[in-house]
Amino acid sequence: MNYSKIKQSVWITSFSAFVVIVLIAIGFLIITNVLFLGLSDFLYYAGESRTWVSFVTTLWTTTIATVLSMFIGVPVGYTLSRYKLPCSKLMKTLIDLPVMVPPVATGVFLLGVFKSVPLVNITQFLGIRIDHALPGVIVAQFTVTVSFCIRLVMASFDTISPRFEAVARSLGADLPYTFFKVSLPLAKNGLIASLIIVWARAVAEWGSLMLFVGGIQGRTDVMPFAVYLDFISGKIGSALTMSMLCILIAIGSMYAVYRVGGKTRVW
Amino acid sequence: MLYTGSEVKHVSGSKWFISILYAITVLFILYVCWLFLSNTGHTDIQSILQLVNRNWFWRSVKLSLVTSFITTIIAILIGIPAAYALSRFEIPGKTFIDIIFASVIVLPASSIGLCLIVAFQYEPVLKIQEALGFRIVHSLPSIVIAQLVHAIAFGIKAWRVAFDNVNPRFEQVARTLGSSRIRTFWKITLPQSKIGIIAGIILAWTRAMAEFGAVLLFSSTFRNRHISQFSDITRFLGLDRADILPISMLLEIECGNIEQGIAIAFVLLMITVLSVYTLNKIGGKGVLS
Amino acid sequence: MKTLLQAKSFCKSLVIFISIVLLLVITNHEVFGKGKKRLLFHAGAGQRPSLDEIAEIFQQRHPDVRVDFSYKGSGYFLADMTISKEGDLYMPGEEFYLLQADKRGFVADYNPETDIAAYFVTVIITPKGNPKNIKSVADFAKSGTRVGLGDPKACAIGIWHETIFKKAGILENVRKNATMNAKTIPELGNACQLKAIDATIVWATTAMLYLKDIEIIPMEPKYRGLIRLPVAILKFCRYPKETKELKNFILSDEGKKIFHSHAYCIDPNKVDEDMKWLVEASKVAKDPSIPVTEETVGPFVKEVKRQRETKR
Repeated sequence: MNYSKIKQSVWITSFSAFVVIVLIAIGFLIITNVLFLGLSDFLYYAGESRTWVSFVTTLWTTTIATVLSMFIGVPVGYTLSRYKLPCSKLMKTLIDLPVMVPPVATGVFLLGVFKSVPLVNITQFLGIRIDHALPGVIVAQFTVTVSFCIRLVMASFDTISPRFEAVARSLGADLPYTFFKVSLPLAKNGLIASLIIVWARAVAEWGSLMLFVGGIQGRTDVMPFAVYLDFISGKIGSALTMSMLCILIAIGSMYAVYRVGGKTRVW
Repeated sequence: MLYTGSEVKHVSGSKWFISILYAITVLFILYVCWLFLSNTGHTDIQSILQLVNRNWFWRSVKLSLVTSFITTIIAILIGIPAAYALSRFEIPGKTFIDIIFASVIVLPASSIGLCLIVAFQYEPVLKIQEALGFRIVHSLPSIVIAQLVHAIAFGIKAWRVAFDNVNPRFEQVARTLGSSRIRTFWKITLPQSKIGIIAGIILAWTRAMAEFGAVLLFSSTFRNRHISQFSDITRFLGLDRADILPISMLLEIECGNIEQGIAIAFVLLMITVLSVYTLNKIGGKGVLS
Repeated sequence: MKTLLQAKSFCKSLVIFISIVLLLVITNHEVFGKGKKRLLFHAGAGQRPSLDEIAEIFQQRHPDVRVDFSYKGSGYFLADMTISKEGDLYMPGEEFYLLQADKRGFVADYNPETDIAAYFVTVIITPKGNPKNIKSVADFAKSGTRVGLGDPKACAIGIWHETIFKKAGILENVRKNATMNAKTIPELGNACQLKAIDATIVWATTAMLYLKDIEIIPMEPKYRGLIRLPVAILKFCRYPKETKELKNFILSDEGKKIFHSHAYCIDPNKVDEDMKWLVEASKVAKDPSIPVTEETVGPFVKEVKRQRETKR
């Protein structure tokens, strides 16, 4: 072992130490929680119907919200990736806003929107209720995740050379055909990865629900909200179980992203 | 290689498809604008003036800024070296580390808050705190810890992209020309990835500023605490008896002062617009997604 | 070969898609109880265990009704109701909030004489082992004690903290000791369970949730609060008949018995006896060698048994 090799290993170790610090911190959080809860309690509370009602509500709302997000996210992401918008920086700022504003503020803004003139009339006319009801959960999740989704989709289209599209066009295919037969299949892995990330982000959404929807037990309490609701009403075991499930979902979906990701990295 | 804005030259006949794409984009942007602008009707000048005249409001602004700056600095000190290590070295179990770090980003804030409070009140940890003579839960430093979780996860992600975008070739060339590792890092790697790193810093700061759920569960509220609870330094800086802005907003609205709550929401919105606009202006590629 | 592969992957995605849709459709029907009359019940977060039990029994008897609960700090409902204009029944932890709602014209049916479901009793709780040796209300003023207080704007216990400590003449000193301001009562209990605070005053029914992890100390009768727990029908009520039935069920002897089993007081003359059982219950819950029967824990058999099953 010569001198420079030792130096190299010192160099690598000193940087890697910081990775270890972060890992230890995360491990500390998760392990203390697991020890505090204990397996028997986890199984006990996981077997309660309340946990599963909340889980199913989450599954429902997030799936719908994700599909809606993708419907907006794919065209907008493609447009942003391929064309230049006028004052593009301002436009991109606006698109990024819903996910960057503190979620609790987004919730307040949503509440205000559904109390302001055109929408309040529409909802009254249709006789549906958005705020303080299940559709509100979907609206909130959609609003927050859609900008996330646009960014991700844009990133996955950015990695695809427009050359392929240009070739298809020069061979006589029109743009819609090129989009559906060339661009989308090429970006498939990236898009699936985005879909999973968006879904996981929707599952994690809580702050904007706080004021916009409020937690009605068994009806609008998606899992993150159920964690809070159980915590403030003293069922810490149930809250911890739900929180563990949230962590499992997050890790599971990130693993799925890694598996399908292809070129798209986990982030 | 990224191909942003590399338009496919279109022949005639596909105009309608492009119009649809643009229409959806514009509609979405209008939705966002409308989301924020329609709320101006729910607040008024009078309640904004009232809010500005309240002592706790300015203390809240200060507290928010101070805690988020401290958070960002800690995130930088730990996150940048970690991101560099993840970007350059073959660390064993890297996939696992990647997955864990990425999942922190999609963790619900309530879950993080609960994890933090349980972890810091866990028996052995509590004993250590007792021996050292301080208690983290429900104290001002706890705000920084709660903000740090998301901030550092977003920061590491951004910085890693920034380092990945630097071609290691340059570093190798500098090394063969006799530059030391530290010198190469300072003179080649950092300047080359400057934009990405700054973008990451802004991103981490914005996240720290926006953090709300974890703080609510971990630190509780401070506004009604007695002044003797706070140390001389915090009193001198005017950080006592204040909550960070998102929590002040929640408290105002839950107590029925909706106009003032929305006014605070607009303050938060303006801060976010500024930082996101800066992010887009300096254009750290791949940082935001 | 290639087409076969394509067909295979197409089938795979189709199967996944269909199963997701099926799962959603089935669960939708099962979980969300389509076609039922849904009552929205605003209640203070402290009342959750008892009301959940009552709703379960009520739903068994009225299969077409579902009771949805919105639990919060009692003080937040006013803003919430002003915004959402929704809700059938309202049960804050303190009459003060109900009267405020009445002032704003939200209450349709409330009779202060008869519509009292039960009474809260205040008790002192400390973490397991009572590290700061709290014995009475006066001990809260000892410097260095971490006290948790409720926010009077947010929850009912906040009002009573002020009242009790003012009566004892130590409000200012207790405020100096307060290291936590809670938005709901169980938050205080959580903090105590997690040892974040050294002492606080909560309802007996909240203390009941943490029998294993806390010590319960009955208060001196001169400071003890007996708080009326009112229940009222709101004017936004959509199903007056069912709501009325639920209210009557809560006020009936059967309902009151459920409240009693969750450490509410239903007869103000028997408070001391209830407190004695509560202290016993906390002892029994901690010691697995004592059998859980009527003789050892009085009315709290069910709750103690439930807590024996889990760690937390």
